[in-house]
Amino acid sequence: MSQLDHIRNFSIIAHIDHGKSTLSDRFIQVCGGLSDREMQEQVLDSMDIERERGITIKAQSVTLNYTARNGETYQLNFIDTPGHVDFSYEVSRSLSACEGALLVVDAAQGVEAQSVANCYTAIEQGLEVRPVLNKMDLPQADPDAVAQEIEDIIGIDATDAVRCSAKSGLNVEDVLEDLVANIPAPEGDPDAPLQALIIDSWFDPYLGVVSLIRVKNGSIKKGDKIRLKSTGKDHIVDDVGYFTPKMTKRPELNTGEVGYLCASIKDIHGAPVGDTIVSTKNPDVDALPGFQKVKPQVYAGLFPVSSDDYEAFRVALDKLSLNDASLFFEPENSDALGFGFRCGFLGMLHMEIIQERLEREYDLDLITTAPTVIYEVVTRKGDVVNVDNPSKLPDIGSIDEMREPIAECNILVPQEYLGNVISLCVDKRGVQVDMQYTGSQVSLRYEIPMAEVVMDFFDRLKSASRGFASLDYSFLRFQEAPLVRLDVLVNGDRVDALAVIMHKESVRRRGNLLTEKMKELIPRQMFDVAIQAAVGNQVVARTTVKALRKNVTAKCYGGDVSRKKKLLQKQKEGKKRMKQIGSVEIPQSAFLAVLKVDD
Amino acid sequence: MTLPPLSLYIHVPWCVRKCPYCDFNSHEAVSDIPETEYIQALLNDLEQDLHWVQGRPIESIFFGGGTPSLLSARAYETLLTGLTEKLTFSPDIEITLEANPGTLEADKFKAYRQLGINRLSMGIQSFQPEHLKKLGRIHDRAQALAAIETAINAGFSNFNLDLMHGLPNQTPEQALDDLNTALSFQPPHLSWYQLTIEPNTEFYKRPPVLPEDDTLWDIQEQGQERLAQAGLSQYEISAYSLPNKQARHNINYWRFGDYLGIGAGAHGKITTSGPQGLTILRTRKTRLPKDYLNTEKRFLAGQDRIAPEDTALECMMNALRLHKGIPVSDFEARTGMTLSSIQAPLSKARSLGLIECDTTIRASERGQQYLNELLALFLTD
Repeated sequence: MSQLDHIRNFSIIAHIDHGKSTLSDRFIQVCGGLSDREMQEQVLDSMDIERERGITIKAQSVTLNYTARNGETYQLNFIDTPGHVDFSYEVSRSLSACEGALLVVDAAQGVEAQSVANCYTAIEQGLEVRPVLNKMDLPQADPDAVAQEIEDIIGIDATDAVRCSAKSGLNVEDVLEDLVANIPAPEGDPDAPLQALIIDSWFDPYLGVVSLIRVKNGSIKKGDKIRLKSTGKDHIVDDVGYFTPKMTKRPELNTGEVGYLCASIKDIHGAPVGDTIVSTKNPDVDALPGFQKVKPQVYAGLFPVSSDDYEAFRVALDKLSLNDASLFFEPENSDALGFGFRCGFLGMLHMEIIQERLEREYDLDLITTAPTVIYEVVTRKGDVVNVDNPSKLPDIGSIDEMREPIAECNILVPQEYLGNVISLCVDKRGVQVDMQYTGSQVSLRYEIPMAEVVMDFFDRLKSASRGFASLDYSFLRFQEAPLVRLDVLVNGDRVDALAVIMHKESVRRRGNLLTEKMKELIPRQMFDVAIQAAVGNQVVARTTVKALRKNVTAKCYGGDVSRKKKLLQKQKEGKKRMKQIGSVEIPQSAFLAVLKVDD
Repeated sequence: MTLPPLSLYIHVPWCVRKCPYCDFNSHEAVSDIPETEYIQALLNDLEQDLHWVQGRPIESIFFGGGTPSLLSARAYETLLTGLTEKLTFSPDIEITLEANPGTLEADKFKAYRQLGINRLSMGIQSFQPEHLKKLGRIHDRAQALAAIETAINAGFSNFNLDLMHGLPNQTPEQALDDLNTALSFQPPHLSWYQLTIEPNTEFYKRPPVLPEDDTLWDIQEQGQERLAQAGLSQYEISAYSLPNKQARHNINYWRFGDYLGIGAGAHGKITTSGPQGLTILRTRKTRLPKDYLNTEKRFLAGQDRIAPEDTALECMMNALRLHKGIPVSDFEARTGMTLSSIQAPLSKARSLGLIECDTTIRASERGQQYLNELLALFLTD
């Protein structure tokens, strides 16, 4: 069945709520991949967090058998792609396993910036992009205008784009027909030696490392002896198969196919994403081009609440980084928080998700310090130093120049919200580079400090445009800026984990907000607790948590002891979740306060 | 090994009405109290505890409640007669009875005194009509004043007045006014404690508005000053007395002494000594009066050994309440531990300025102010 010309490998490019999940669910249903009973909503978004947040984080795949109107049965391999701006890097990985992509656009909302960027990535990778106009069931759907917009903004022909509704089921089969007819079959030589690409790997406690692979040439079956190009290590294949979307064993995976591979690889780094798999019989096959490593944009310290968890935390990060190459981490030692890791993320959402996964899947209790972007510092000696941790900023006296990262932001916004969006960009210290009117939307290009972009710009943009504006951004350059480090001192002790680098002009305002917020969060103790915000030796804001007047139980007689003891124990349990800075107990929430004091 | 001194606590579980702040084992007396049955039950209960006396004389007896003054003098006569048959009383035994205004008439007071009850503790709580009402007390100001007068006239030269502060909407002036009224009777002992909201009380379910922290602090400071002026010195977190008029029964609790507890829901603490060293038990009796009076049921509802890792804490929870603390020798004898075994928390507490330790272990002034923080240091994980 799976001759090359009956295989189609494809992805879907779509904005978060333009209906990708619903459409893929429809595909699975049409092709009978799951019984009705098994048909859970949004089967492909399998991580709990993904389903809760309604977004896709990781690439997933499903193999479907579609019997087309010409009577032929095709094997459709659908590789899912993430839809959030933070995860654009994952997209190119998914696309590299495909010959084509469906560009799904909400016929009521039009094109958005993330899809534009992903579309260009697909076109650059030589994929056939087929536009699909979804949500035709909505009364405000305007397919002609949106088709025009696709042509104007992206520049691909959208005249015969299928108009469907994943929600109602309208024309869903037409989408599949269009796909079979227009997305090319994979190329490759079934008789050539094995050459397969690892698209994704994850760690399964029972199976070891499980990899999602695309066979480029040759075939792979159970019992084969394989070699990983990067490590040079050999493994025996335990199993291969498809996701339907359940894991389903197959005798072999052939040229052009996408499926999973288990080879009892217990070492977490035994099957790195982007690696090439070859046969030990013919090991001298070229390695396939891997994936470009993306640089994290946001850094934060993550510390286990209990220092006993440090080792478990390290193992968990190792496992997560297996299929998330964008996750960077290295050991960090904080005076305030002890041993932990400085971690680099693609953006704030990525950070939140990693933290949530660590806490949920690995049962860790973590404290996250204020996120920061990476700064470039030129010292008086002329060295250029990258600083991803405010507490590691060199002494002010030795700094010649500080530079902050600037992001190039592409924003698409309906005309009626243009004013709001422009004032937001100005507010975030943005500089306009370009503005184009295209159909009903305006295409804006701004240069904005990365620190402003990664924090909450995306959310603010959404609220300034009632959800209609969209954003794509990338690192552009470092640029000199008047930056300082704002320190927080608790009873005179500098708390390294609370330091933030910011623009000189916002120091006083942020300092006040921060100290006031901390005052709310730090419980009254046996003594006054002074909270100061300072730049160098200059205090810019201060406040005091007044001492508790007393903490004593009024009465305790013969029968009261057990109950009073429980009260003491409860009080102590509460304190365990606090960090001791000098003699002051600081609750976890205070470390996050830095995050929450924006305006 | 010398065992700690032994006291006797006797619980009377009935009240005319349950107060909204009270978390003691007290029950509204819906009909006549079964006095005769209860006295017999108390003596039967004691009979089963006698093996714990281990030859020790009884240093003090405390009739607590509930409202012990609801029982007749006859009842106490039977009870005390029974007790003297089973126990040896120390020659200078202190016998205290708790009384609530509104439940006492002059004859009863005199009879109590003549039976050998030599100390009376009266639950006044406040003299302000609005506060008495809020606290759900059955007495008014006049009855409170009358009760004290009656007690003195009945020959109780040694008596205590229970007063609360930090009452709903209470001002420092009102708190001082209560103290002044109490002091006008020249009481040998005052228990002056702050109202706290305890679980399983009416106030816990429907919390009243209590004064702000700063007001509470003002009340405490001004009150302590006033009490000192009157010659009542503070010897415990909430207890003030003239010299030599401290509550010996309570001091025994606080110095980690032993006590038998008889009556519905009564708690006891008993030390026994064996080849493996000391065993310290906490005992508790059947709680509900109807179950306690049911001859089918056991008096003893449970007994737990104080775990070795909890012993120091439990001792400190009591001993550090006393201004004078506890002699090191008593600590060692009554816990079976050496001082060096608590060196870690002691050093930590000392470095925080919360504790002082030479021949006695005692909380510093600051340690008393933050006693809970100090005690937490003795908690083991």
